[in-house]
Amino acid sequence: MGRLQAGLPGVTVSFAGVLANILYGLTIGSAYTLIAVGFSIIFGMVGVLNFAHGGLVMLGAYLGFSIMALTGNFWLSLALAPVGIAALGGIVERLLIRRLYGRDIELTLFLTFGLSMVFSNAVLLIWGGSSCSIQLPSYFKGFIDLFGVYYPKFRLFVLFFICLIVAVLWLFFARSRWGSVIRAGMFDIETVQAFGIDIYGVFTILFVVCSGLAAVAGVFVGAMRSLSPVMDLDFMTVALSVVVIGGMGSFKGALIGSLMLGFAEAFGAQVTPGLAKFSTWVVMVAVILIRPKGLFPER
Amino acid sequence: MAGRGKIAGLVVLVLLALLPLGSGYLFSDFYVALVLRIFIFGILILGFDLLAGYTGLMSFGHAMFFGTGAYVAALVWKYLTASVWAGIFLGLGLNTAFGYLLALLCVRTRTIYFVFLTFAFSQFFYVAADSCRAIGGTDGLSGIPAPTIAPGIALESRAAIYYFTLACLVLAYVAARRIVGSHFGRVLVAIRQNEERVRFLGYNPSVLIRRVFLISALFGSVAGTLMVSFQPFVSPTYYHWSMSGSFMIMALLGGMGTLVGPLAGTAIVIVLGDVLSTWFKDAWMLCLGVLYILCVLYSPGGIAQIARNKTVAGLVSRLSGRAPERLGRR
Repeated sequence: MGRLQAGLPGVTVSFAGVLANILYGLTIGSAYTLIAVGFSIIFGMVGVLNFAHGGLVMLGAYLGFSIMALTGNFWLSLALAPVGIAALGGIVERLLIRRLYGRDIELTLFLTFGLSMVFSNAVLLIWGGSSCSIQLPSYFKGFIDLFGVYYPKFRLFVLFFICLIVAVLWLFFARSRWGSVIRAGMFDIETVQAFGIDIYGVFTILFVVCSGLAAVAGVFVGAMRSLSPVMDLDFMTVALSVVVIGGMGSFKGALIGSLMLGFAEAFGAQVTPGLAKFSTWVVMVAVILIRPKGLFPER
Repeated sequence: MAGRGKIAGLVVLVLLALLPLGSGYLFSDFYVALVLRIFIFGILILGFDLLAGYTGLMSFGHAMFFGTGAYVAALVWKYLTASVWAGIFLGLGLNTAFGYLLALLCVRTRTIYFVFLTFAFSQFFYVAADSCRAIGGTDGLSGIPAPTIAPGIALESRAAIYYFTLACLVLAYVAARRIVGSHFGRVLVAIRQNEERVRFLGYNPSVLIRRVFLISALFGSVAGTLMVSFQPFVSPTYYHWSMSGSFMIMALLGGMGTLVGPLAGTAIVIVLGDVLSTWFKDAWMLCLGVLYILCVLYSPGGIAQIARNKTVAGLVSRLSGRAPERLGRR
């Protein structure tokens, strides 16, 4: 434990310290990626500002917590919570958001804001206001020695697991037929429709997938940190900041923006422990001043 | 038509001015407090509407100005002096500084990015207020003394606060009306419709947007200060995004781009919030959220949509109606 905390006070610039920060930054940044990619893609393609996205992450985390508490099986909660939230995302798209297609974009902002209020109040009613955490199985507890850094086993697992998901997502977007449909849809929906593609079906699937990804991130963050009914706000801030940093609707932008935030948090915690939570805004302001449209604007 | 509107306005004003006289006899003090809250948020919404409704830049972070106004007032009245003017003007001063800095950053973006930036920066204030021990942290500050209008005259009784706030609201309304009717106000509407053309005409839209952003921040600051005179405590919830979001909903319900509409929307949201919290107890936010959703789905133009043809403001906003942003890209 001693060396793990090398990243906290008493700044020590050592190889192990830097490596530890890189690892922590990568892990939390990768969890942010899952949140931000979904938010960014939904905006880029569907043109919906989903302010309930943070709420979906939170619901995923709480659902994962309950499944874990009931069954004691972490894998079950990692599998079932995203499925449940994905279904919820699909239902929300079908019943509510679909009605706003082709109307003023700000209406979706209002609607999803109302939705996020419903989500956070529902969490408060169902799970209560006290903070809790997803209990990890014993084989995920403890640390692993990585080149002199004692790193939590679970975080390493999270990092690998998310890398896998991101790789699959990237292959899907860059290589698959439906990936190219989605990329084309970001530019010109009418033309895509003219090819005989059911674009509204694609929208629904997109909501399902992105909500599922949000829930995966929720379960991981819920196991690494603690759960509270106000955590949706943190996730929304992350998603928005990543999009401002990386550029809207860009997969690459979301990935790099998330990692930047993750690193800013990890290294910020070492340099200025009390002010680490403000690192997000420092990065964001810097990016806005240099490139108002984000680092990788899609359009 | 304008004459009729003026008479109606005067009648409403007189009725509102008479309201506290009936408290205790006709109805309980609770209703006076309710109307007072509508006044306070009404001041902010007027400013919000100048930015969101007239200029077309939706702010999802207006709580930051409200919160800063409130915190400054609380700190000044608690530790410096009890003068209500000191609270108001120091709040205005600090909000001018913050507003100017934020305007410099936010004006670089438009539409949705503007929403993101205002949201993200208001979140900064929330985190700052929540973690700064010196200003009370999560618990906020309480035990703030009643401010004084002049030495010896405290703004203590409900009626005094009520009339002071009403006066501020009337002033704010007149100011907003003047702005909307002025040359500046017309250019703002023009920016909403077609910024490029405004630029061709020789204006610098960024400068004008910065200006209206700042004006809008000042309205929010005064509202925040008045809130503390009404409820003598502050907490980070004043910076919370549900606050900013409720401002958007107030303006939306009333119909943006008019001055009277958002005021009516404010009244609806506050009364509704009160009714729902007595009916549904802990689940009232959920019900309010559901109501917002229904409102967006079934009456996106707000109640001003119904009265649209009947007021001058409605006519102006109809003539300058915003072209809805379509799905997909141009």
